[in-house]
Amino acid sequence: MPRPRFLLAIPAWAWLVTFFVLPVATVVYFSFGYKPGLFGTHATDVLSLDRYREALSPTFFTTFINTLRVGILGTLICLLIAIPMAYWMAVKVSPNRRVFLLALVIVPFWTNFLVRTIGWQVILAPEGWLSGLLQSVGLRDGPLAILYTRPAVLLGVVYNYLPLMILPLFVAFDRVGPALREASKDLGADRWRTFTQVTLPMARPGIIAGVLLVFIPLMGDYITATVLGGARGNMVGQLVASQFQAAQNWALGSAMAVLLILVIAVTVLVGAAMAYLVSWPFARHRRLRLADLPPAEART
Amino acid sequence: MTDAPQDPAPTVPTGAGPRGSSGERGRAGAVELIGVTKRFGHAVAVDRLDLAIEPGEFIALLGPSGCGKTTTLRMIAGFEHPDEGEIRISGEGVRGVPPHRRHVNTVFQNYSLFPHMNVAENVAYGLHQQRTPRAEIRERVAEALDMVQMRSFADRKPAQMSGGQQQRVALARALVNKPSVLLLDEPLGALDRQLREEMQIELKLLQSRLGTTFVFVTHDQHEALSMGDRIAIMRAGRIEQLDTADEVYARPASAFVAGFVGQQNFIEGTLGADGLVHAGPVRLRSTRRTETEQVRPGRVRAAIRPEYVSLGPATAEGGPTENSVSGRLAGVAHLGETMQFVVEVPASIGTTSLVSRIPTPAAPSVRTGTTVTASWSSDSVHLFAPDRAPAGTATTDPVPS
Amino acid sequence: MSRASRPRPVRVLAHSSAAPRIRSELTRRGFLTVAATLGGATVLSACGGEESGSTATGTGTATPRATGGDLEDSVSIYTWGDYDSPDVLERFTSELGPTISLDSFNSNEELIAKLVAARGTSGYDIVVPTGQFIPQMIENDLLEPLNKDLIPNLEHMDENFLGRAWDPENQWSICKAWGTTGFVYDNTVITRELTTWNDFIDAAQNEASGRTSLLDDPAELTGIYFWANGIDWTTEDEADLQAAEDFLVNDMAPHIAAFDSYPGGSAIPQGTHVLMQSWNGDARIGIMESPEPERWTWVLGAPATELWMDNWCIAKGAPNIEAAHAFIDFVLHPDQVIDQVDYIGYHTGAADVEARAQEAGLEMLDLVFFTDEQVATMQEGEVNSAQQRIVDIWNRTKAAAGA
Repeated sequence: MPRPRFLLAIPAWAWLVTFFVLPVATVVYFSFGYKPGLFGTHATDVLSLDRYREALSPTFFTTFINTLRVGILGTLICLLIAIPMAYWMAVKVSPNRRVFLLALVIVPFWTNFLVRTIGWQVILAPEGWLSGLLQSVGLRDGPLAILYTRPAVLLGVVYNYLPLMILPLFVAFDRVGPALREASKDLGADRWRTFTQVTLPMARPGIIAGVLLVFIPLMGDYITATVLGGARGNMVGQLVASQFQAAQNWALGSAMAVLLILVIAVTVLVGAAMAYLVSWPFARHRRLRLADLPPAEART
Repeated sequence: MTDAPQDPAPTVPTGAGPRGSSGERGRAGAVELIGVTKRFGHAVAVDRLDLAIEPGEFIALLGPSGCGKTTTLRMIAGFEHPDEGEIRISGEGVRGVPPHRRHVNTVFQNYSLFPHMNVAENVAYGLHQQRTPRAEIRERVAEALDMVQMRSFADRKPAQMSGGQQQRVALARALVNKPSVLLLDEPLGALDRQLREEMQIELKLLQSRLGTTFVFVTHDQHEALSMGDRIAIMRAGRIEQLDTADEVYARPASAFVAGFVGQQNFIEGTLGADGLVHAGPVRLRSTRRTETEQVRPGRVRAAIRPEYVSLGPATAEGGPTENSVSGRLAGVAHLGETMQFVVEVPASIGTTSLVSRIPTPAAPSVRTGTTVTASWSSDSVHLFAPDRAPAGTATTDPVPS
Repeated sequence: MSRASRPRPVRVLAHSSAAPRIRSELTRRGFLTVAATLGGATVLSACGGEESGSTATGTGTATPRATGGDLEDSVSIYTWGDYDSPDVLERFTSELGPTISLDSFNSNEELIAKLVAARGTSGYDIVVPTGQFIPQMIENDLLEPLNKDLIPNLEHMDENFLGRAWDPENQWSICKAWGTTGFVYDNTVITRELTTWNDFIDAAQNEASGRTSLLDDPAELTGIYFWANGIDWTTEDEADLQAAEDFLVNDMAPHIAAFDSYPGGSAIPQGTHVLMQSWNGDARIGIMESPEPERWTWVLGAPATELWMDNWCIAKGAPNIEAAHAFIDFVLHPDQVIDQVDYIGYHTGAADVEARAQEAGLEMLDLVFFTDEQVATMQEGEVNSAQQRIVDIWNRTKAAAGA
């Protein structure tokens, strides 16, 4: 007896509903409610958009700009570092050593990221060993003053998320394979043009995966930024957490969380549109219309 | 990183393009390899190879896998660099010249079309690299696609085409650049037989029409014989014989060539002072002078092509026979134009069966199991000195294909 | 705001100066924050009920359930991270039998949310809320009344720390530890003497600008303004709250480098900032771990400051109620008190504890024990209608500091 095909899709749907649709729907539902009293976290007997009005206060906006800045800059820096690194690993390194290098990329994941981030906090501290070293070597006059600055936030973010960018890019570059690069060189393209016209366009799925894998969790992360950025590392996630944990106002927290989801979605769409706009002239330049040319015989 | 093209007018109608057009016009398209050696670790892939390819020639590099033919091709293309020796293309040494600056193009075994570009964009790729004017690119791409009858596929992606269609596009993509030398690395290997035979004819016609030098790598002797003006038979990194198809077939320079090109019956024996080869109960006489003169008395290997072996009724048992042997007919196979007979022979002659191939109309009707006599003329017997290197020692091809 | 502050071995491969910091983040807040973030979804679905205990049915004169019967086999404690001496816990099990399981929370709100959601089935026996949260917990029927007959060691407690406003008869709670808020400054950078919250603010706006950290806690933040300006820090008056917001967002935030509840963990030993608001026990640990302790000066907030007091309570529906009473009685015994003070660095409310700590040779006791005059300047917090407003001010200040 042939079974209906949708049976096979049930686990996937169940997964999606249980772990995505239901939680998000719950948060969306709560976001229309309110905090009923000191001891209540949320109530939904009267629904309104008031929490969104509250959430869109100037505070939220400022923090939002900061979060977007960290998210976008962090993702871009990760991308700029990961592209040459992943390319090198996938193309230049012998397969035996490649396994070792991949392991090195993954090894940090074996430790709690908080421990690693705090490790950076210790390294960057004004009285930490790095500061001492730089002063003793004479590279700095005073103690290192990078902790609790924006560069420190970016450093921590890039450090924590870089592997998530490298791995999909590595897979993408690896899948392009040497044959197409050779074909490109054979056709007169040097290494740079081979990279920009063949390797990079073909790695696009990996680039998209890497950017999303880094950008989305990064937008929700506030721990990395707070540990290394202090006051400069204020993120939207922190606001959401403070509403859920300190203020016990789940309605407002939910509204903020929903806005965060929306902003991430809009940013991703805008990013995709911009990437399309940037690549459009190149694609147009490459496109050839041959239909209106007469066949060869007619032209002798 | 590319240096600006030296020639401001890249629209040279035929033959050499801008990069190949050095002083020696007449040598455009010539390829010379002089004492070229290439090692991969301890394995010697190409061993002091000398090869001179004339402009406009269609040369086939034939050999079993691991013989170094692909490595040789890749060295001409610039993907590998010789450890020793020199390569000249169109009369100029190419040591240190990267692939993208050599005026050669390659048709790859797996086509290597760019999957993110459609057919027209694939074909235009090389012209874009040379910054050819847009209008000219359009014309030349159309022309190249017309040449391989793929114009109507211009907007397709490679994934939407069959292997044969992709092959044609790969060909157009290489030829549109008007290279002085076109390198083809087993380009037909992935096609089915019928398509392959059609493409062989097309390729040959195309080559004679364009006058471009073709260097064609294959392990298929039929392909090599049917297309190559000359055939270089390679083994263990060296060329065993470089000659026309006729010569290679009729006058193989070694037992290896004899065995690799066409089919052979090999008989092991001892060449005596009497000029006869003693192989068990069989005596062989060869009247072929060219090869036989180089063979010294002692262990020898005789080769007789199946089409020179005729069958007759069994003769009476008796003493040694000359250029004939009796045995049981073990099998008959119909190959179309010819019939193939397999005769069991005494193992003492170095083989257990002898193959005879006779045009179907002339084939005798003999039943399997009957005893027959296989015989051949003395001018069909090639004698070779014992093999300098047993065929089994050829290293496997270190180059991923 | 967990209070523990005693170094404790954690096996982490790191530079030796990293260890205290990593330990503090793991045991106190950082790790718990992560756990809370990850656990958020569970809490959400678990607390789906809308009423959330706001319809209180607390009676206030309930009869204790514990009768002094046989001890159960185990006791489960839900408390602040790293808040009891492991030696004391071990001794309890070896002397009286019940094994102890520990779980920790990050805020009173988290504790309450969990108890509300479980409605008497949390499985926890002992919980440790901060004083001002206790009335509402009683009202919401989250606590069991204590049977003081089973806690004879109550007699060893200092009367001053019993009978607080939120539980005058100690029917529901007994002081576990208390502390206060002040600040620490680097006297090599801030060379003048700081003594009050106004000095703190002035230094933060001048020589310590950009090198000042504040506690990462809403009420402690607004507290700075209220204490400095002679306003009751439990005010619900909107004008006061608005003035606090204006001051903090506009005049204070630009000078703040970080919000750090545990500067003692690394900021003091590493010299990360020069002016740090901190709790007394944490400041003590930080200074003790600093390579140059003489560089740091502790100042108790003045003219007014906070007094927070955490309390032993028994959760509603506690499955091991006899063992829970036995445990509370056990830790109140003078034999255990010094170990507790030594480990957590805070006053436990036991009588004569100061003299005995001096006898035992504990260091820097001026950061643990305070004079009666000092204690008189300390005021407990309150959970009231300003709570949400204060969290908003906190968020706005943080946003302004990050801009």
